[in-house]
Amino acid sequence: MSKPIKFEFESAPELPGADRLAKYVLGAIRQLTYRMWDFEIEGLEHIPRTGPALIAPNHLSFCDSVFVPAALPRRMWAIGKGEYMDSWKTKHIFPALGMIPVDRTGGDAAQIALDTAARVLDDGHLFMIYPEGTRSRSGNLHRGRTGVARLAAQCNAPIIPVGHSGTIAVQPPDTVAMKPFKKVTVRFGKPMWVHQHGDPSDPRTFRRFTDAVMYEIACLSGQKYVDVYAGETPTEETVSGVTASGPTPTSEPRTTPRRLSVVGGTSEAPGSIMLPPTRSALRTSSTGPLLRTNGGPPAAPIPTAPGRTKTSAI
Amino acid sequence: MLTSGVSGEPKVVVLTHANLSWIHEALDGNPEPMSAADVTLGCLPFAHIFGLNVVLLASLRAGSSIVLQRRFDVDESLRLVRKHRITMLTGAPPMWQRWAKADAPDDSLATVRHAASGAAALPLGVFEAVRDRYGIEIAQGYGLTETSPIVTLGRGHPVRPSSVGKVLEGVEVALVDGNGVPVDIGDEGEVVVRSPGVFQGYLNDAEMTDSVLTADGWFWTGDVGIFDEDGYLYLVDRIKDVVIVSGFNVFPAEVETVLMSHPDVTGAIVTGTADERTGETVVAHVAGAVDEADLRAHVARQLSRHKCPREYHFLDELPIAPNGKPIRRALR
Repeated sequence: MSKPIKFEFESAPELPGADRLAKYVLGAIRQLTYRMWDFEIEGLEHIPRTGPALIAPNHLSFCDSVFVPAALPRRMWAIGKGEYMDSWKTKHIFPALGMIPVDRTGGDAAQIALDTAARVLDDGHLFMIYPEGTRSRSGNLHRGRTGVARLAAQCNAPIIPVGHSGTIAVQPPDTVAMKPFKKVTVRFGKPMWVHQHGDPSDPRTFRRFTDAVMYEIACLSGQKYVDVYAGETPTEETVSGVTASGPTPTSEPRTTPRRLSVVGGTSEAPGSIMLPPTRSALRTSSTGPLLRTNGGPPAAPIPTAPGRTKTSAI
Repeated sequence: MLTSGVSGEPKVVVLTHANLSWIHEALDGNPEPMSAADVTLGCLPFAHIFGLNVVLLASLRAGSSIVLQRRFDVDESLRLVRKHRITMLTGAPPMWQRWAKADAPDDSLATVRHAASGAAALPLGVFEAVRDRYGIEIAQGYGLTETSPIVTLGRGHPVRPSSVGKVLEGVEVALVDGNGVPVDIGDEGEVVVRSPGVFQGYLNDAEMTDSVLTADGWFWTGDVGIFDEDGYLYLVDRIKDVVIVSGFNVFPAEVETVLMSHPDVTGAIVTGTADERTGETVVAHVAGAVDEADLRAHVARQLSRHKCPREYHFLDELPIAPNGKPIRRALR
């Protein structure tokens, strides 16, 4: 068991989460995570001491939202479901941990979430967002949503890719309790800037940047990448009610109506377009990359990046 | 009409008069249609659909004049623009590149009202060079022989340099994933098109026809694109050329653009090769007197690690079609 890393408390009276309560709660959580788990942190030197940054981790378990913040040397904020404010158990603690409640039932929930995130970043703080949008039920790393990249461009903030492992063993899906003494590792990667990936007025830039971030996360977490959104593959059945067990910040809440890439025509947008019959062999099912072609080799797991310097928790 | 044969053997595309003339009617609906006062320079080959239906036939249909140039020559073309007060100038990217660098006065294109480019992606540097020198913005368009050809058009809309414009009135376009489901705006998908301009099939090749044309009337182009929020289309690459590294899509065109941005590189084609560890890796074929280490560093600054070519092959000359499209299959 290691000692908690040095933590500098940023006062932010303008943001949700009472400052004084936050200080005690965060201190207690940090002590707890280091004492109760074999908690290891790498790449702390990549976290800027001051100024805004987006913290972008992979998402496997509810307790990701405990371990990633506890690994950071600074206070951070994230979006959580408005329902947490209805229970006396969570209405004080979760905001103190940095959760900003957003009502996800409204049609403009996504916009409110993004505006909230922008406010945190514009004030020079850290904001955590899961680029996969929701928890991966397959254990693989899924396609990233571009909202994170847009936010980074809008607020001129870097994205810090985060890859962690071990949280699924601490708190498997559908469980409430966190099992102690397991090993949890959180790795931070180098800050990434959108302008290094092209012109921010070009929609291709956001997709490229998002993919680049996901690649770094995959290298840090050791997960296999699958080029489909979390929750959209057959292996990823959504278990209703599970997400009620914890704050799962999402980049684009599920209640947001999808805006499809369909232009022209008087008929309503097609649900799906008929596949050419003699071309199915050229394309894979939804378990593989969507834009796969004529039977190339399957995607292989991403090897862990060599030469990564280890700066374990002291 | 024969396809250019860049992505395979040329195919014979059966187009009806109705297919061709529908494009002219649709163009009449453009916010900035051609008129009898326009003068077009016909310097694209009429053996291709772009030169035939967009340049030659559309001009005649609009009642405008067309000045023919038998074989493209940069100096002669600029002389014709000045002499005949050309208002519509349409070319492929290599032609625009030569106009940008031409040994001619900077007011050479003063009469040009519409500048258009098609057939292949127009490099941003060429767009900027033409704009800065002649004060005109080139509007890109997009189409295929199979769609007679216009799918999207920059003309009539504020120009976004890297976009191929907005969908032509009367054309339906959807970007779909591998299951035929439309993707979200901002995500890549295969461009599928339905319009009265869509062809009848490939001559004597039902199997090939069935592989791209479905009973519900959609033509699967094999191109990958992204729409922005305002309905402008951006092309990404050919779906068949995608290289998949550790599950991530790498589009060769993106890597080629970065390679080409190195001052010593004169040509670049990117392909993929099988790899035990990552599935596939990226291979660069480069022309130009360039130092490999220097080029690797240049690429690493601009591309995500998984997109950086693992192998480099330096060649004296690269297979690039006259319209500017790289012939990648020749290097696989």
